[in-house]
Amino acid sequence: MSVDTLTVPGETRAPTREDARGCRIAVASERGFTVGRNELLLLSALGQGINYPHSCRVGTCGRCKTRLVSGRISPLVDFALSPLTNRDLKDGYILACQAKVRSDLEIEVGLLDHRVTLPRSIVGEISGWRILPGGVIDLRLALEEPLVFEAGQYAALAVSGSFVRRSFSFYDAAPGSDGTREVGFLVKHLPGGRFSGWLGRQDRRGVRIWLEGPFGQMGLDDTPRHALCVAGGTGIAPILSIAEDRLRRFPAEGITIVFGVRTRADLFALDRLERLSGLAPGRVRVVPLLSHEPAGSGWDGARGLVTAALDRDLGIDLPEASAFVCGALPMVEAVETRLAALGMPRGRIHADKFEPSGL
Amino acid sequence: MLDYAKYLLSPVLLATSAYGLWLGGPHAWLGFGILIGILLFDAFLEPDHSVRDTRFPWLYDGIVSVQLIMGFAMILFYAWLVGQGHFETTASKIGGFVTMMFTQFVIVAPVLHEMFHRENLFHRWLGRIGMVMIFDPWREITHVVTHHIHTVTPDDPDYARRGENLYRHLAKTFAGQIAESYHLERRMWTKRERAWWDPRNAWVWRVGILAGFVGLLWLIGGGSGALAGVGVCLLGPRILLEIFNYTQHYGLVTATPGRFEPRHTWNHLTPFVRLLALEITNHTGHHEDSYKPFYELVPDRTGPKQPQFLICLLLAFVPPLWFMMIREKLHHWDRHYATPQEREIAEAENIRAGWGDLNERPSLAQARFAVAP
Ligand SMILES: Cc1cc2nc3c(=O)[nH]c(=O)nc-3n(C[C@H](O)[C@H](O)[C@H](O)COP(=O)(O)OP(=O)(O)OC[C@H]3O[C@@H](n4cnc5c(N)ncnc54)[C@H](O)[C@@H]3O)c2cc1C
Ligand code: FES
Repeated sequence: MSVDTLTVPGETRAPTREDARGCRIAVASERGFTVGRNELLLLSALGQGINYPHSCRVGTCGRCKTRLVSGRISPLVDFALSPLTNRDLKDGYILACQAKVRSDLEIEVGLLDHRVTLPRSIVGEISGWRILPGGVIDLRLALEEPLVFEAGQYAALAVSGSFVRRSFSFYDAAPGSDGTREVGFLVKHLPGGRFSGWLGRQDRRGVRIWLEGPFGQMGLDDTPRHALCVAGGTGIAPILSIAEDRLRRFPAEGITIVFGVRTRADLFALDRLERLSGLAPGRVRVVPLLSHEPAGSGWDGARGLVTAALDRDLGIDLPEASAFVCGALPMVEAVETRLAALGMPRGRIHADKFEPSGL
Repeated sequence: MLDYAKYLLSPVLLATSAYGLWLGGPHAWLGFGILIGILLFDAFLEPDHSVRDTRFPWLYDGIVSVQLIMGFAMILFYAWLVGQGHFETTASKIGGFVTMMFTQFVIVAPVLHEMFHRENLFHRWLGRIGMVMIFDPWREITHVVTHHIHTVTPDDPDYARRGENLYRHLAKTFAGQIAESYHLERRMWTKRERAWWDPRNAWVWRVGILAGFVGLLWLIGGGSGALAGVGVCLLGPRILLEIFNYTQHYGLVTATPGRFEPRHTWNHLTPFVRLLALEITNHTGHHEDSYKPFYELVPDRTGPKQPQFLICLLLAFVPPLWFMMIREKLHHWDRHYATPQEREIAEAENIRAGWGDLNERPSLAQARFAVAP
C-alpha cells in the first residue's frame, strides 16, 4: 500500500492556537493532504480542490463513506443516525462530511482525478411544466445566470419564500464550460409530498425558484468502457445525462439502459431515449421492464423488478463494464448487490439514491 | 490569568446563595437578589468583545468542573433544608425556591451544556450526569443532532418562528423534543440491533440516572425535599432554558439548512452575561464548532445582537413587548444579514406571522407567498 503525503495549506476560518497544528491525512494508494485540527474532513478537502467523493454534505447520502484505518475523529452526530450500516460501523467506516479531524489520520477512500465545480445559488423561474405518463413532471427552469454542471449531477431546488428544499437530477447533457441558462428535471409527483405534491397540483410556470448546485459525482467515471445504466422511475434523469455524455466522449463504447417502471402506461421519457439512440445508432440498447403490468396485457417486453434483467444473458462483460444506478434506495441497494455478485467490481458501480431529501 | 479569575464569580455566587439558604428567613433571597442585581447592572454596560486568555485551559476546566459539582451539591443541600423544615415563612420558602431556580439556570445549566459537548470523557460524563439538574437527561440527543443540524428551520424543535409567542413556543418545543428524541433513539437502537429496553441504549440509562437523582433527593430531603428539588429543576433550568432557546434564534431563517452561518443566531455580549452564562451567549462560535470549550468562543462583533439577556428574558414573558422589540431587530436582520434567498423566506415568514408590514414590497411578497408550498 503506497501512502504518500502532500501538504496543502488550507485555512477555512480564523486560525486558533489549535488549528496551527495541521493534521496529515494519509490516503491509501493516493496522494495525501493536510487538514487543520478540528476542521471537517470533507469540507477541508473540497476547499483544497481535492475531489473527495460526496453528495449531500450533511450526513444523509452516504457518498463520503470512508474507512478510518488509524487516527482520531469526532463525529458531528452519532454515526448510528447516518446511512452507515451496523456492519459499516463495526468495520470502522465514517462519514467524512461529519468527521472533525482530531489527529493525523490514515484513511481509505477513492479520490477522483477530476476537478470539482463548486456549487452556487442561482435564482430562476419555472419556464416549462408538462405532465408525462406515470405522474412525472418535466420541469424546466430559466436561470438568471449560466450554470455549469456535469453529467449525472443534481441541484437543490427551493421555491421562493419556502424552507422546503429538495434535490433533483439534471436530465440534460452537461453544458460545457460556458454553462447553460436553462435546466430540466424529471420530478415524480407524490400527491402528499411537500415539494412534488405542490409542483404536480397545477401548472407552475412563472414561479420563482432558487437552485443551488451542482452536487453529486455519479457520472464522473472517465474510463471508456461499456456503460450499464439501471434506472427506476425518475432515476432515468441522470442516466439520460450520463448516457449522452459518454456517447460523445467514448465513440467506440456502447450503453445498455435498463429502465424500470410499474406499468406500460407509466413509461415516460421514451422520446428522450429514442433521441439518444438516434445520436449513436447501434450503440444504445434500452431494456424497459414493467413490474406491475397485468398479465395478458399484450406487453411482450421484460417484466419484473430491474434486478430481474441483470444476469449473464444481458450480453455484457460485467467485470469489464461500469455501472450507473439511480432510483429509490431499496432498488439501488438490490442492484448494487446483484452486480457485485455477477462480478462487477464495487468501485465501478456508481449510484445515486433518491432518498427523501431535505426539510 | 486574570481572565480565569473572572470565572470564579460563579462559584462564589453559588457559595453565597448556599450561605443565604443556610441562614434562612429573608436571607434565602440573597442569591436571587445578588444575581438579579448583577444582571440589572450589566444591562447598562457596553458589549464586551474581548477574547479570553486561552493559555491555561486546565484552570478554566478546573473552575467549571467544581462549579458543576457545587450546583449538584446545592440542589441536594436545598432538598435537605426543605426536608428539615428550615424555611419557616412563606416568604423564605419562596425566596429559597426562586434563588435555586435562578442560580441553577444562570450558573449551573451553561456548564453542563458545555460539558456534554466536550470530548474529554470525564467532562462529557460530568455534563451528561449533570443533565439531571435540568431534569432532562435526554436533552443531549435532540440538542446535538436536531438543534445543531436543523438550526433556524421549522424542523428544529428549539426554534421559534416569527409571530410565535413564548407560551406557544413552550408547548411546541416540549412536544417536539419528546417526539424527536424518541425518533432518534429508536433509529439508534434499531441500527445497533438492540431491543428497546437494552441497558446499553442511551435512553434507558438516562432514565436510570434520573430515577437515581430523585431517589437521592428523597433520601436526603424526604418527600417535601424531593418535591421542592424536582420543582426547582423543572420550573427553573428546564423552562428557563427553553426561554433562552426562544431568544437565541428567534425568527431567523436559513437558505442553507444543515450549514450554519454566523448570521443564524443572536448574541448577547454584555460583560456579566458572558461571564455568568460561561460565554455561551457568544452563540455564533458555539454553532460553528460545538466541540470548542466555551472560553475559546470569540464574540461575533458584527453579527446579529439582541438587547441584554435579562431584558430579553423579561420581555419574552409579555408577548406584545417582545414582538415590539424583535420586529425591529428582524426588520434590520432582513436588510443587513439575510442573503437574497433568505430575504424571500423572511418575507414569507413575515406574512405568515401577520407582520407583512415589515416587507419592503408587500404586494410582491404576498404574491410569492400565495403560491409557495
Ligand atoms: C441526490 C438526489 C437526487 C434526486 N433526484 C430526483 C429526481 O431527479 N427526481 C425525483 O422525482 N426525485 C428525486 N429525488 C428525490 C426528491 O429529492 C424528493 O425527495 C422527492 O421529490 C419527494 O419530495 P416531496 O417534498 O415531494 O415529498 P416529502 O414531503 O419529502 O415526502 C412525502 C412522502 O413521500 C415519501 N417519499 C419521499 N421521497 C420519495 C421517493 N423518491 N419515492 C417514494 N416515496 C418518497 C416520504 O417518505 C414521505 O412519506 C432525489 C433525491 C436525492 C437525494
Ligand atoms: S456527503 Fe457525507 S453523507 Fe452525503
